Amino acid sequence: MAGLELLSDQGYRLDGRKATELRKVQARMGVFAQADGSAYLEQGNTRALAVVYGPHEMRGSRSRTLHDRAAINCQYSMATFSTAERKRRPHGDRKSTEMSLHLKQTFEAAIMTQLYPRSQIDIYVKILQSDGGNYSVCVNAATLAVIDAGIPMRDYVCACSVGFVDETPLADLCYAEESVSSLSVALLPRGGQIALLQMDARLHQDHLEALMEAAMTACKGVSKVLDEVVRQHLQEAAVLNVCP
Amino acid sequence: MAADMRLPRVRKTLSVSESASHRRDLVVPGDIITSDTGFMRGHGTYVDDDKLTASVAGEVQRVDKLICVRPLKTRFNGEVGDVVVGRITEVQQKRWKVETNSRLDSVLLLSSVNLPGGELRRRSAEDELTMREYLQEGDLISAEVQSVFSDGALSLHTRSLKYGKLGQGVLVQLSPSLVKRQKTHFHNLPCGASVILGNNGFVWLYPTPGQQEEEAGGFYTSLEPVSLADREVISRLRNCLLALAAHKVLLFDTSLLYCYESSLQHQVKDILKPEVMEEIVMLTQQKLLEQEG
Amino acid sequence: MATAQVSEAEKVYILHGIREDLRVDGRGCEDYRHMEIETDVVSNTDGSAKVTLGHTAVLVGIKAEIGKPRPMIPNEGYLEFFVDCSANATPEFEGRGGEELGTEISNTLYKVFNNKHSVDLQSLCISPGEHCWVLYVDVLLLQCDGNLYDATSVAIKAALFSTKIPRVHISTDDEGGKEIELSDDPYDCMRIQVENVPCIVTLCKVGHRHVVDATLQEKACSVASLIISVTHKGTVTCTRKVGGGSLDPESVFEMTEAGKRVGKALHAPLMKLLQHEESLGRKTPKVGFLG
Repeated sequence: MAGLELLSDQGYRLDGRKATELRKVQARMGVFAQADGSAYLEQGNTRALAVVYGPHEMRGSRSRTLHDRAAINCQYSMATFSTAERKRRPHGDRKSTEMSLHLKQTFEAAIMTQLYPRSQIDIYVKILQSDGGNYSVCVNAATLAVIDAGIPMRDYVCACSVGFVDETPLADLCYAEESVSSLSVALLPRGGQIALLQMDARLHQDHLEALMEAAMTACKGVSKVLDEVVRQHLQEAAVLNVCP
Repeated sequence: MAADMRLPRVRKTLSVSESASHRRDLVVPGDIITSDTGFMRGHGTYVDDDKLTASVAGEVQRVDKLICVRPLKTRFNGEVGDVVVGRITEVQQKRWKVETNSRLDSVLLLSSVNLPGGELRRRSAEDELTMREYLQEGDLISAEVQSVFSDGALSLHTRSLKYGKLGQGVLVQLSPSLVKRQKTHFHNLPCGASVILGNNGFVWLYPTPGQQEEEAGGFYTSLEPVSLADREVISRLRNCLLALAAHKVLLFDTSLLYCYESSLQHQVKDILKPEVMEEIVMLTQQKLLEQEG
Repeated sequence: MATAQVSEAEKVYILHGIREDLRVDGRGCEDYRHMEIETDVVSNTDGSAKVTLGHTAVLVGIKAEIGKPRPMIPNEGYLEFFVDCSANATPEFEGRGGEELGTEISNTLYKVFNNKHSVDLQSLCISPGEHCWVLYVDVLLLQCDGNLYDATSVAIKAALFSTKIPRVHISTDDEGGKEIELSDDPYDCMRIQVENVPCIVTLCKVGHRHVVDATLQEKACSVASLIISVTHKGTVTCTRKVGGGSLDPESVFEMTEAGKRVGKALHAPLMKLLQHEESLGRKTPKVGFLG
């Protein structure tokens, strides 16, 4: 990148973070009353809303019905005002179709779909504000929404992107940093299982291990934050649930 | 004409006793509940490496050797004998499909309903053709879970005079986990209305029927106007239900009645304002605690 | 949910209640549900607002971009509307399912807001015939619980109020070419006069009466509704009948009168709220979706 120093000599990044530091994550579960589950999550300036409907009877063509497990249906879209330059369409372009597919695969790995044969689970995520790491923020928000809907999962799914600059892995990239070769990982943190791995640019194979290591650490960091959010939500929501 | 506009506020949690918070029986997905293999795996758990692990976020419930995790909010997981309120979505051959907030539509077989003419009436081919006259799409029914199919869908029956098609009234859809399991889910409240607290979270509020209405097999519904007084009671109960649900208070006849009493000093339409909701839910909580102690 | 299913008996109950001016949730026929409004919730827009009305939730973001004025009206800027009925609101909107409703709403919004009586379009002109500000008003439906038009119009008015367009300095270079320079100072900005911006009131004809702010269940009982946009002075700027049924002329007049009365009364509390929020300044943190 010409003219833009992503990592200063002192080891600080553009927004003043250290190389392994995550952006501030704030989240809330149960944002909407009509959906089965919903969550809002912001990671730095990237903000996403996730909504879950289901499990419910298959809609539309019954041919998609799976007789041994639930079908997961995802739609990723971006608000037209979410990016710096206004978008013309919220969804339906190639990038968001790909993103929807990735989300679907990620959550098929985590949700215990075999418990709900012949039904369908809808996961819809919407980026309200985009500043890098859209995929990861969507996964994190959707995880919270799925938990809010009471759908059984093996574990949380946490995602994070990492980049590689000056021989140093950078965790949780913002938009300005996304130009470097980056790796997106979705992790089931307790078992250390990888639900999705995506690498978009060239990287020397020797560096891959270090980068993976950094990504896993970052994902575990995210999982800690999500864990706090869920526990907090549980405490709040469960207090009055116990009555004589 | 009134338009109440305001800035949003950060929600407060209402807690009567501080000791209730920081409970230890709350788990999140992936939490290991026990590594003792002597326990049985129930809903909301799975076994991973001989360790019983939670798969949903909620509270752990232990019945003898069976461990379940009950999520705070979920679709209806019906069991035999549960009372449900549901809406007909489809009329098929010899059966109705019913939306009951479950993960699959429930089924009401023609052979599981009482048709006009008494218990012993035989079902003829004509009945199959006139199914829509008894129940059509959109109609609400109360029913009981008769059995659960292997894929988890529920089979319902209305073979009792208390079940059947619902007439005039108001449906409130809430989370199933908020409804307390009780001996009876049909209540004639002393405030002048009746309620069916469906186990599936669908709550039906209706004017208390006068003398035992002429039964036409449960398919006759009165379309006579409901009196204004009854309407006010029903509307108040509806808003009370929503207030209790918003603050996650367990729903049963007493909690609903206490909430109703606490709300009497407010106008019906004001109950849903956040501050009024907080106030009356607090009062309800206090009353419930007093009754307990 | 975009539509609700209601049984015949429920319909009768709702109908009789409206006849007696006591609706299912205890409101009278001309009462709105509780409304929550917050502006400046999306930081990468020039103006934004979030409105919740019952369970209906609408988010509006406004982006100002420099464009070319329309040839017929060279000295005015213009507004562009886009309504995104997202699948978040209801699974029915998945894929292209929400497009029809989105187009229907955005067409109405063009008629109501994109004229010089509602918004001072001349102030959006930078240099006549060459450059003007185009305001892209993007409406995002997050949840549907009836009465989308009213909630959307309030959100648009609030978002327009919060819109801050950077000031533009035009300098002429030696060869007579014009150069546009945007001000760097975030406080050096232009605001939009929202005094004359109308609000939409939807009146649903249910039985022999009409109600404002109908819930989905009430809408299911109504044959047709009338959309009326009203300014703070009580001037009706646009009316439109929507829905499949028909209305007789008397009831249209009756509903227009009621809409005028209700619409006029919407503006004062809205402006008061917006000014109050502005006076709180940046010190009070935004609640947004975290509340």
